[in-house]
Amino acid sequence: MIEIFQFAFMQRALLGGLVLGFLLAILGIFVVLKRMSFYSDGIAHASLAGVALGILSNTNPLFVAIIFSGILGAIISWLERKTKIASDAIIGMFFTSGMALGVILLALKQGYQPELVSFLFGNILALQWNELYIIIVATVIMVVFLAIKYKQVALMILNSDLAHVSGINVGVYTTLLYVIIAISVVLGIKLLGIVLVSALLIVPVSTAKLFAKSLKSLTVWSVVISELTIILGLLISVKLNMPTGATIVLSGICIFFLFFIVKHFDGFFPKKQSKN
Amino acid sequence: MSTSVVSVKNLFVHYGENEVLHDISFEINKGTIAAIIGPNGSGKSTLFKAILGLIPYSGQIKVLKKPIKQSLKQVSYIPQYFDFDRTLPITVKEFLNLTNLTNKKVDNSVCREVHVDFLLNKKIGELSGGQLQRVLFANALMNKPEILFLDEAAAGIDVEGAKTLYELIEHVNKKHSVTIIMISHEINMVYKFADQIICLNRDLVCDGTPKQALTDEIMKKLYGENMSVKSHKHI
Repeated sequence: MIEIFQFAFMQRALLGGLVLGFLLAILGIFVVLKRMSFYSDGIAHASLAGVALGILSNTNPLFVAIIFSGILGAIISWLERKTKIASDAIIGMFFTSGMALGVILLALKQGYQPELVSFLFGNILALQWNELYIIIVATVIMVVFLAIKYKQVALMILNSDLAHVSGINVGVYTTLLYVIIAISVVLGIKLLGIVLVSALLIVPVSTAKLFAKSLKSLTVWSVVISELTIILGLLISVKLNMPTGATIVLSGICIFFLFFIVKHFDGFFPKKQSKN
Repeated sequence: MSTSVVSVKNLFVHYGENEVLHDISFEINKGTIAAIIGPNGSGKSTLFKAILGLIPYSGQIKVLKKPIKQSLKQVSYIPQYFDFDRTLPITVKEFLNLTNLTNKKVDNSVCREVHVDFLLNKKIGELSGGQLQRVLFANALMNKPEILFLDEAAAGIDVEGAKTLYELIEHVNKKHSVTIIMISHEINMVYKFADQIICLNRDLVCDGTPKQALTDEIMKKLYGENMSVKSHKHI
């Protein structure tokens, strides 16, 4: 089984998967904390317009989709703060209009587009070196930012008024978080596809929440579960010749239910005795 | 001579067409425990939000003689509702660390003073209403503020818990010379602990010591004909 990693496409897939798994698991904590699952799903779908623009203009679709979704994230954040329109209505509008624009733009391109299918359902095995570099560079920049500004972002999510009084510019940080999530979701569509990408933001954190005792352990376990999900999904998909994106998502769901069932057997997880 | 730490002059706040606060002016001096009272919808929380720079307004507000943006580091705030996902596994220690932006370590002396030191390893989602308020209180004191704003801090806490909280407020005021500005519904507690009462009903109805402000006439003006104040000895 291990010998399969001698192939360059598998090395790229594994490296890209592990990097994305790390990024999406960390961001997933913020997404779950701020209840932004619909936003991540909406951005993923709306990014079809960016992908289509890239295909039409013969530019790297991933690169165009990153720019497109980043701008979209900033617009959604601005509209949420400056208008009285409900957040889910704003996201719903961009979700559907982005998809609609993508469908119209793709209709302008003649013939079968194999690339489109890989963007819809993901195909990490088709990851190119230039795409892997984009993923690594973008991930490093975003993770470094989150590591430095972790307290500010987390406090803003916990209570925006408290964050404001603590001197945090809530508008700027909210927009930055929206843009970071949008870019990360688009990076993740190479792995899981537009339709499935939000799974990696939600499932590992939800699994870790079943037994995490602190924010620190939630973070560590989310990353561990996310990486485990990707390795397992990748190996199964190659071994059984199944679509990688869908296999990774189902692996994550299986791990979730495994922990869920185990948690309900009393005494499986050692209960930490409180010091007090 | 007393120093004014909060100065509000000719404050107007509108939510769309609706005028929520009309021509409010008052001053709060250093070291005071000031209570803002008034019926629901009278604009108490809106006044707080305007002072803290959370909403747009017209008029002039100065905190520590500066616009609020420049004095935020000397101010702490305890919100009325601390709405968060209670299933989130975040411990009290982690929470205090998170909100403590400038310092790396939680100040244990503050935790002991506010009696939250034994709660540090508990998840905040598992705390009772009174315990959570004390944690928020400890959090507010971490940066050693000059002014502490409390928005209905005792809401949802039982009578004994509320009494403890007011005693804590008085302790912080007296020991650390922190000016306290609080919104409250507990007229009896306010009468006992506050030095200055500001009564709101969109307009400024009263501003003075509890004895001057909490008269039957003003209570009726604020809360209707059936409201009156029992006489207490103010300490």
